[in-house]
Amino acid sequence: MLDHNQLPLADVNKSLWFPEQASSFAEGVDWVYDTILYISLVFFVGIVIALVWFAIKYHKKKGEPAESQTSHHTPLELLWSIGPSFLLVYMFVVGAISYLDMRTPPEGSYEIGVEAYKWGWTMDYGGGTYHPELHLLLDEPTKLSMRSSDVIHSLFIPAFRAKKDIVPGRYNYMWFKPTVASEKVSVDELASAKKETGTDAWDYDKYQFTPDGYRFFDLYCAEYCGKSHSEMQTVVVVHETQEELDAWIKEKASRPDDVAPDAWGKTLYNQRGCASCHSIDGSKRVGPSFKDLAGSTHALADGSSVTVDPNYIRESILEPKAKVVAGYNPVMPSYKGQLSDDDIDSIIAYLKTLAE
Amino acid sequence: MSAGTLPSNVRDPGFPTERENYLTNSKGFLSWFCTLDHKRIGVMYLIGTVTAFLIGGLLALGIRLHLFSPEGWLFTDNWLGSSVDKNTIYNQVFTLHGAIMVFLFIIPSIPAALGNFLVPVMLGAKDVAFPRLNLSSFYLWMFGALFFIGALLSSGLDTGWTFYTPYSTTTDSSVILATLGAFILGFSSIFTGLNFIVTINTMRPPGMTWFKMPLFLWATYATSIIQVLATPVLGITLLLLIAERVMQIGIFDPEFNGDPVTYQHFFWFYSHPAVYIMILPAFGVISELISVHSHKHIFGYRFIAYSSIAIALLGFLVWGHHMFTAGMSSLTTIIFSALTFTVSVPSAIKVFNWLATMYKGSISLTTPMCYALSFIFLFTIGGLTGLFLGTLATDLHLHDTYFVVAHFHYVMVGGTLIAFLGGVFHWWPKMFGRLYNEWGGRLSAAIVFIGFNLTFLPQFVLGSRGMPRRYATYDPEFAYLHQMSTIGALILGIGLLIALVVLIASLVNGKRSPANPWGAATLEFACTSPPPYYNFERAPVVGDPYDFHDIFWDAENERYVTAEPEREIVPQTVPEESPAHAGGQN
Ligand code: HEM
Ligand SMILES: [Cu+2]
Repeated sequence: MLDHNQLPLADVNKSLWFPEQASSFAEGVDWVYDTILYISLVFFVGIVIALVWFAIKYHKKKGEPAESQTSHHTPLELLWSIGPSFLLVYMFVVGAISYLDMRTPPEGSYEIGVEAYKWGWTMDYGGGTYHPELHLLLDEPTKLSMRSSDVIHSLFIPAFRAKKDIVPGRYNYMWFKPTVASEKVSVDELASAKKETGTDAWDYDKYQFTPDGYRFFDLYCAEYCGKSHSEMQTVVVVHETQEELDAWIKEKASRPDDVAPDAWGKTLYNQRGCASCHSIDGSKRVGPSFKDLAGSTHALADGSSVTVDPNYIRESILEPKAKVVAGYNPVMPSYKGQLSDDDIDSIIAYLKTLAE
Repeated sequence: MSAGTLPSNVRDPGFPTERENYLTNSKGFLSWFCTLDHKRIGVMYLIGTVTAFLIGGLLALGIRLHLFSPEGWLFTDNWLGSSVDKNTIYNQVFTLHGAIMVFLFIIPSIPAALGNFLVPVMLGAKDVAFPRLNLSSFYLWMFGALFFIGALLSSGLDTGWTFYTPYSTTTDSSVILATLGAFILGFSSIFTGLNFIVTINTMRPPGMTWFKMPLFLWATYATSIIQVLATPVLGITLLLLIAERVMQIGIFDPEFNGDPVTYQHFFWFYSHPAVYIMILPAFGVISELISVHSHKHIFGYRFIAYSSIAIALLGFLVWGHHMFTAGMSSLTTIIFSALTFTVSVPSAIKVFNWLATMYKGSISLTTPMCYALSFIFLFTIGGLTGLFLGTLATDLHLHDTYFVVAHFHYVMVGGTLIAFLGGVFHWWPKMFGRLYNEWGGRLSAAIVFIGFNLTFLPQFVLGSRGMPRRYATYDPEFAYLHQMSTIGALILGIGLLIALVVLIASLVNGKRSPANPWGAATLEFACTSPPPYYNFERAPVVGDPYDFHDIFWDAENERYVTAEPEREIVPQTVPEESPAHAGGQN
């Protein structure tokens, strides 16, 4: 995931066709792909040569009769109907075998919960730790158990050659084994990026590493899910050791002591998908803007009105469909069980700063 | 016999008079809009579908221009003064592009526009079996199109042309208007299909046995079967979708204990066969074009005919391959993958047969032939890339990426659209009695070919590198491939524009076309160009539609002529008296 702005042909480490191979499936999938590609190319080149050659060789002046009027040749036709079928059976079989591998997670896989919503991701690391980034352990078979809180989404990691739809109303599972660890960028590079960013949301595309300084693999939503479908992306980081991964999870578990509640609230606003629906500059998105929200009075869809106090904010986060603001649809997912009390207090503190 | 020495007994219908010709025998707006003549209905469909294509094409250019830069280039947050944000505009544009192209252009173009014009004439009949049903199918088409435009003008539509639930049951765009539009278009499609089935079953003139039918008719017949059997499923699905939206009865929406994947099964049970509604007629057109412009008997007539029917039937069994990643059981998934491969065989057979037809032929590189050659090239790519998607391991990676976008554009645009253009150029002189500028036509074929490949080849690479489809913005690493694609689309647009100009110019100053400008042996070239109101002066004589032995180039008059009795005539063809349908009295 280094510099992608150059032509891939000029980049010796990457093939033209594929992103880097970073899971145990990648090699097999690429092999099946190449096999089909070569078989197809043989047929394609043959067909095109015949096409061009016949078009030139048998090009005749108007009215000159054809050299032959042969209208059929049954053995030949049977041959070209049945012959290629063997190749098709072969493709089907190799494809199905690799597929079965990808369907059956090994016993005792490391398990991570995934919640997809419009338009973001929440990874559940257990013990009340949630984070939008997917952090994995090198060479550890990992199973994702995935659910969606609104429409169909699809989790797609090109470098892993892995994809699975996430259908609301049921759990969908996928698994893979990451085989390439994420590098860490130098402390200087990270520090200068942090300084440049200040308190703004982190720009993954620009820096190509996470705010923790890791290089990453892209994770996309591949099933169309509405307005910000194309922004429903996150990153995958692969840690080399269990200790490193645990340390990362521990760090994300709750607000660090040296961070003020309103700053933590802002981080959560950017990280946990609030930003995709609520602006902080007053502009209307899918949900009401947070600017000047705290303390104001809101008209509700059912005709009543409510003052935006901490209780109302808490309720809106946990039971978003209970009191819907007039002019908006009840589309916000519930964050029940995903934010600690301290997290919610931090968000309230942050909203207050926006109303000063 | 070589060119120049004509036998004495040649026949040439000459040119039609004003009064006999279907275009001019009656005048005025009403004479068109109340017409029961299949040829006029075909022409109206031609105008309608081409207009839909132009609108869909402009939307496509919008999509491509927007994707010129990773953050989105064309649409902005207050584009043309609207306050809708740019991603929403993009989503509406790609949805409408897809819906218009599929429902208003690709599905009706060949069967309804060319088919309506050609089926009765190729059959040697006077009209279709149910002329009034035919006219009503056109009005239904218009009506459905108005619903689509209504959806656009009210609150836009942003579901993608597939209307997947639960997105479509929860978004606040005009899903109901658009699905009603598609529902109505479905009826139009069923009427056309029904009409062709009955026409081909009952109105073949004496001697026109099934295996004496031109392959275009076989293809139309197979298509009609799918239209009649599959379209009702779409109708029911769309009604259920509307019911779900309005009453929340809980079929598809998990919030009310429905299952979204059920919708996908219903939808693709229609829409997969529907992709064969799109491509089978194209196969029919190409079979005619290759044989006529090679002046050689089509190779493997029966294999081609049977493979059309095989595709129509197998097409009903493979819908599940659109849901490999949706979470079906492993066994179901594997069965669907296996079935998917079976459809490849009949498609491959056709390509081999076309090549064998050209072998040792007498090929004229006319405009229709250039399009036909282009079709074989592009369709082969489209078909072969289907193999990557039918194979489970690779589909998991490629599903819902630009690879799929490229695949179905190679099949539907590189296949169907190119065949449609080839067909239009082939039958244009017949339809309007005018010859067009050959160089202009060939130039358009070349530019379309180049533009098309530049547009869609890079998308295979984009997809396998992991670029998902339906993205309004994308990671900068994909930019240069998107830019190639956008430039390609502009070139493609220019090529199509040239084709349009060449055709329209021919109406203004084209030379009059003889009855048989290409030297074809099918029946539509036995009547004058344009055909008379009742198609034939007298019941046509039926022979092998691909026997070129008795067709000669008359260099002096620059036209092909037919030497009457040399063709082997099926004995009972020569009618004793006028048969009821073929050119007899009303
Ligand atoms: C007759 C020619 C064909 C036509 C008209 C056709 C058309 C299409 C279309 C329109 C789609 C995309 C639908 C969408 O998602 O919007 C599609 C996808 C697909 N096609 Fe084809 N195709 C053809 C040939 C083939 C062949 C020969 C194969 C396999 C051997 C194949 C396998 C697939 C698969 C598996 C998909 C689903 C891919 C995915 O969504 O992951 N197709 N095709
Ligand atoms: Cu999504």
